[in-house]
Amino acid sequence: MIYLDSAATSFQKPASVGRAMTWAMGALSSPGRGGYQAAMRAADTALSCRTELQELFHVPEPEQVVFTLNATHALNIAIKSLVPQGGRAVISGYEHNAVTRPLKALGAEVTVARGSLFHPDEVLEAFQKAVKPGVDAVVCAHVSNVFGFAQPLDGIAAICREQGVPLIVDASQSAGILPLDLQALGAAFLAMPGHKGLYGPQGTGVLICGTDVPVHPLLEGGTGSLSQQQEMPDFLPDRLEAGTHNMPGIAGLLEGVRFVRKRGVSNICTAERRLAALTAEGLRRLPDLEVFAEPDLYAQTGVLSFRSRGMDAEALGAALAERNIAVRAGLHCAPLAHESAGTLKTGTVRLSFSAFNTREEVFRLLDAVKAITKPK
Amino acid sequence: MEHYLLIAQSVTLAQRMERTLSRAGIRGGMLRTPMELSEGKGCTYAVQLEPSALRDGLNVLSGAGVRPVQIFYAGPNGYREVAV
Repeated sequence: MIYLDSAATSFQKPASVGRAMTWAMGALSSPGRGGYQAAMRAADTALSCRTELQELFHVPEPEQVVFTLNATHALNIAIKSLVPQGGRAVISGYEHNAVTRPLKALGAEVTVARGSLFHPDEVLEAFQKAVKPGVDAVVCAHVSNVFGFAQPLDGIAAICREQGVPLIVDASQSAGILPLDLQALGAAFLAMPGHKGLYGPQGTGVLICGTDVPVHPLLEGGTGSLSQQQEMPDFLPDRLEAGTHNMPGIAGLLEGVRFVRKRGVSNICTAERRLAALTAEGLRRLPDLEVFAEPDLYAQTGVLSFRSRGMDAEALGAALAERNIAVRAGLHCAPLAHESAGTLKTGTVRLSFSAFNTREEVFRLLDAVKAITKPK
Repeated sequence: MEHYLLIAQSVTLAQRMERTLSRAGIRGGMLRTPMELSEGKGCTYAVQLEPSALRDGLNVLSGAGVRPVQIFYAGPNGYREVAV
């Protein structure tokens, strides 16, 4: 299989991830639930994972690194910690449903700071206009999951700091791919999956909490701490980690993060961008295709979308699947992003690369697209 | 045997205390806090230190910003809380 759906889940993982998960199944119980060896080893593994993430994202203390089920879980905690029922939020025009649906459920008054695709200056201008004191939170995807558009996060963060509005960063498509510095951004939260650019297994996510940011748990329950108290502990990570941890997942995530740090975030990004650029160049040579890619991929990562003027996006995705090429077609759970880019009606076919893809795979993809879209 | 118990707020903090001490060459064993010391709270972790290691240990922890919430001295007559 040629796997080009890493924006959903990175399917190919470092071998160490699977090994760690198998080891964890036999060696780890639950952190904070006992004084015996398997519990202590679990606590040690959890702390090691927190510490790796702390260093990767420049977080002051490892306690500020909270394990979640996925990025959606992390975003829900972040949003519901800051935006009250009927509150006010500003979001970008490239948000995923993981952001828009929680805000809808809160009945929030949402302003969309929209700029054209691959025009960071327009996005920045829109945020400058929309972010004012009184806004409860700004929520912004660092990178669009549909188009790989890297939004001008540093500038957006600066606007938030100036206006005193907390910033929630959806780092689903950038964690492990672009540099992210919690302290430099001054963000309230960074939310991310463990199973995409961090190469952990599905069922892992991370919420990084800014210093002294109020946090409200989505779940209440056992934490292995302050058991006699009937309120959730007021300290992190326990406040946000009720119930038994996914230790095989965390052990796998630890190895995934180690892989990312060893290979280097910028090296991974450069390799993925090169493959995306090669793909875009090849697709542009084919007739009747519209390719959503920047010429130099300055504001784009290794994610790109395209559509055919003569073929439905889902049909094209299905035809590629028949040739054992895994892509994602449709709306990608991000109708807002498609609306912003003018592709809401047709959807797109999305190709997303990981550190494990090769140029040969790109050439085989291009051959397949050419064969499928060839005029009959 | 005489020792001190440094009570941590959470298992994460207890782990950090143990690691911080270990990096400084101070052996501190992590354990569940005895029930009699966690009365009213329930379920905490602690790090055990030899009396001779207490002063250096606390300095190291303080330098790393990893502080216990309580300290107990364990002697022949049982536990006694000491000032943090």
